Amino acid sequence: MNTATEGLLAALLAEEDPAAVRAVAARLDGALAAMPRTARAAMAAAARAVDVCARARHGRPLARLTPQERERTVTALASRPGTAHLMDLVKVPVLLAAGTEYHARRATPAARPVAPADPPLDCTPSAQWPDRQGADAVVVGSGAGGAIAARTLARAGLRVLVLEEGRHHPTAEFARRTPLDRFGALYRDGGASVMLGAPGVLLPTGRAVGGTTIVNSGTCYRTPDRVLARWRDSFGLPLADAPRFARQLDEVERTLTVARQPADVLGANGRLTLLGAERLGWRADTLRRNAPGCRGSCECVVGCPTGAKQSVQLSVLPDACAHGARLVTSARVDRLLVERDRPGGPRVAGVAARRPDGTAFEILAPLVVVAAGALQSPLLLRRSGLGGHPMTGRNLAVHPATSVAGRFAEPVAGTPSVLQSAGVEELHDRGILLEATAPPPGLSSFVLPGAGRALRSGLEGAGHLATLGAMIADRPGGGVTGRERAVSWYRLDPRDGRRLLDAVRAMGELLLAAGAEEVFTGVPGAPSVRSTRELDAALETVTPRQLHLSAFHPTGTVALGADARRAPADPLGRLRGVRGVLIADGSALPSCPEVNPQVTIMALALAVSEAACGAEGG
Amino acid sequence: MTKRRTRFTETMTGTVTLTGEREARPVRLDLEVRTDTVLLPWRTTRAQARGRLRVDGWEGATPVAGEMEISPLARRRIRYRLTFRRDGRTYLLDGWKSPSPRHPLTSMTVLPFTVHDEERREAGRGTVRFSLSGALLPFLASFRFPAEDPGPAQLAPRWNGRPGRTEVWYTTLTDPSTGTGVWLHHEITAPEDGSRAYAHGWVAVCPPGGPVDHARFGPEPVTPDAAGFRATDALAGPGRLRGSCGPYTWDLTEHQEGATLHTFPAWAWRRPLLPAAQIVPGGRARYTGTVRGPGTDLTLSDAPGATGRIYGHGNARRWTWLHADLGGGDVLEVVAAVARRPGLDRLPPLVFLRLRRAGRDWPRRGTRTALGWGGLGRFRAEVGLPSWTVTGRAGPRRIRVTVDQPEERTLALEYTDPDGSRAVCRNSVTADARIVLERWWGGWRPEAAWTLRGTAHAEVGER
Repeated sequence: MNTATEGLLAALLAEEDPAAVRAVAARLDGALAAMPRTARAAMAAAARAVDVCARARHGRPLARLTPQERERTVTALASRPGTAHLMDLVKVPVLLAAGTEYHARRATPAARPVAPADPPLDCTPSAQWPDRQGADAVVVGSGAGGAIAARTLARAGLRVLVLEEGRHHPTAEFARRTPLDRFGALYRDGGASVMLGAPGVLLPTGRAVGGTTIVNSGTCYRTPDRVLARWRDSFGLPLADAPRFARQLDEVERTLTVARQPADVLGANGRLTLLGAERLGWRADTLRRNAPGCRGSCECVVGCPTGAKQSVQLSVLPDACAHGARLVTSARVDRLLVERDRPGGPRVAGVAARRPDGTAFEILAPLVVVAAGALQSPLLLRRSGLGGHPMTGRNLAVHPATSVAGRFAEPVAGTPSVLQSAGVEELHDRGILLEATAPPPGLSSFVLPGAGRALRSGLEGAGHLATLGAMIADRPGGGVTGRERAVSWYRLDPRDGRRLLDAVRAMGELLLAAGAEEVFTGVPGAPSVRSTRELDAALETVTPRQLHLSAFHPTGTVALGADARRAPADPLGRLRGVRGVLIADGSALPSCPEVNPQVTIMALALAVSEAACGAEGG
Repeated sequence: MTKRRTRFTETMTGTVTLTGEREARPVRLDLEVRTDTVLLPWRTTRAQARGRLRVDGWEGATPVAGEMEISPLARRRIRYRLTFRRDGRTYLLDGWKSPSPRHPLTSMTVLPFTVHDEERREAGRGTVRFSLSGALLPFLASFRFPAEDPGPAQLAPRWNGRPGRTEVWYTTLTDPSTGTGVWLHHEITAPEDGSRAYAHGWVAVCPPGGPVDHARFGPEPVTPDAAGFRATDALAGPGRLRGSCGPYTWDLTEHQEGATLHTFPAWAWRRPLLPAAQIVPGGRARYTGTVRGPGTDLTLSDAPGATGRIYGHGNARRWTWLHADLGGGDVLEVVAAVARRPGLDRLPPLVFLRLRRAGRDWPRRGTRTALGWGGLGRFRAEVGLPSWTVTGRAGPRRIRVTVDQPEERTLALEYTDPDGSRAVCRNSVTADARIVLERWWGGWRPEAAWTLRGTAHAEVGER
């Protein structure tokens, strides 16, 4: 870490202890190491740019300024409209590193409960896998869709191999490592995947055995009936018929042991949300989750350290392995092998994959299930020469999301709590779903306002913040380009922008109703408000682009549909133009599912894989 | 146009690590590959492969057999699926090359493979490589594109009405239970003078120790038949031999067991450039049925023998012939002849010898034994009675064939050529033969030897 970055950290955090700055810098360095080169370069460039400002203003580099001079430099940059947004981007990784460091210094390491042994998986690292192997079916990706497809095919008696680009992380490993460490290991690009567009937003996805289910919050909504009706009627998916699809949803919920989160470990964040909703008379309840026996570790998004959350590597894949499926980890699939000279048209023959050391291996199988996720599946098809359909990689739907924090007089953090605990469905009919989402201890996901001393005091008072997140059911407006690296882009629909502002207002109103002294809106001009009147005033001139946006749940890039011109895959999940390729992940969803999509993806994958092996209804 | 097949051999060496072992063992894979079509690199071709797998520490060579999928361009894959047995268990060696334009040499020469047992558990994995320096030339030189084997369809008559031709269907067999030899001869002769062609033949039966008895049928006008030979009282067609002649009757079914054995070069049968040519459809055959006559009441069940075909201008000036069923699917066919054409009649006997061992015919080149390399190294025959020999060397192997035709087990018959000249044929279907095959390993070492007592079928013809 160079002196410019250390100077920036000292200035942003108003930290005068050089040892503390170096410690935060080391944490930041570790987090950046997992990110792509462009993210590291951008961070270094931002630090140099601030350094140049310091030289221009005071004639000396940032590291050699007095604390007061540093404070003036960064507060000036953070308050100017042109540079404030850039400073907010820099603050995201800095707050993660600083939060971890300060939390580690403050908190005495609590005696962690002994992590339970995971159910056995037949996992082989690709380095130990032979160069040539045959199978009845290959599943690319071990996330929500891939796991359930693998289990279905294995139960039908097929020899199934599941290829996973990430590696296997047992629960004991989560219990051992800090959340920030795990953050870099479990997310693709260290969590720094960005969607280009107006505005550019973070779109984190998991990369490990279990896919994104290992890092999601465990919220398990059933697919709303109105979404299923749209898929059946507008997209021609008979399998989305609600009574018929209910069987798959029931099966998935049974597998994941989905139940409503008990109130005992809900945490203050969830209780305050429910209190605010109650006072407003809004529909709200604790969320249905796949975490029986949740102990409130509040670390869902970096892997559950107690094994309570039934991610697919704990619930589905062990069952698949018990039926003979095998997992190959650290295996990136280069391309699907396609035999184009087959009578009757091209047919898939297997996959070619690569180990981390660059050596290649191949698996031949007459059935390949593509379940690499909505951002990777279109790339895999393109690399295989199967991405010719004009809608492959298009139709990207996400849940644009923003968050609002409220400062309460009483401490909010510090007791066992569920990361995503309560849902407010009052506005769901308008496409807005509010969910109480607390950050993991020491990892502030909310971008605190200000810089220097203001930011530092905000950081130190983070324990009094209750955080609400809102996600919007969007109109698909994005896509994924590229062959090797996913370059995703997204255009926020004006309707969805309005919904985001409505969501910010609703969250602020709810927090104030729950008794928040102050609400942080994330809006540059009015970072904090104390009443609904101030909130309305602050939001009057704000555009959606000025909000701190992130996005979750990418879907729809290889959509199923009856119309061959609009959908790359047919209503049974079979990729058009080639035989033997099944789409069974988030990319198969025809449009935004409007709720957290794990259960929907798994049920759809279950339906298409059952249809593929003729086991439907069996 | 004649449909052609492809045949080639391939040798690869490398290592294999058996499951449970830490050290890799050297391994060598020798394959002979056959396809039913011409191998075209832009197409996908299925092929049959058989050969030997040698693994360091395993005793001897393990026979392997299986199939290949050869598709270097269309599917970018050359797959080998070979099974072998070891310690009473069957294993599958499954691997493929993945030709890539980025690494053409490596991808075309490296074969990674995995070995599975009967329960599909991995029993080993390894890689063998095709050596460009050591294996390329033999590989390229091994390519053959033989015509498709028509099998019993070759029993159809070749004669098209031209004068001066003779065509023969002959069958010799041995009853394994009694040791009796049977010879059925069916012939069409079209005299050179343009007179009417005629069909005739005979049956000869030789109990062990002799004497030989025989009866003739015909001559009679030729009865056209699309599938084989037909006369009033005799029939020789695909899968069936039936007839009566004097006191003898026979009714046999024939099952040909392999590919056609081309004693003469294969082209000599397709294009009648030589004075005459002979083939043995199936190489060897099994006969089931009855042969009855004075003192003979044979009920045959899978009796070994063969049906041969001759078509040409007539008999040679001098000739010898041997058909020896060596057991286990192996067979030796020898014809040594001196032609009657002016000039050729001054040459020593031209030897046409074909030994089929383990499904491979030796020597590979059809003219090798007769012509050698420009006359050098040709095989030699010493023709005489009651004993005659053929010797020769091709590649690292040499062979010595000694045939004994004791007079009491030999039948002398007179042949008439299309030009009216006559020859005497001395035939024995209960002859003795001794065949010794040696291989050069720094010195001649015996490789195989066969002794046939009364089961060889042989003939010497003279004028």
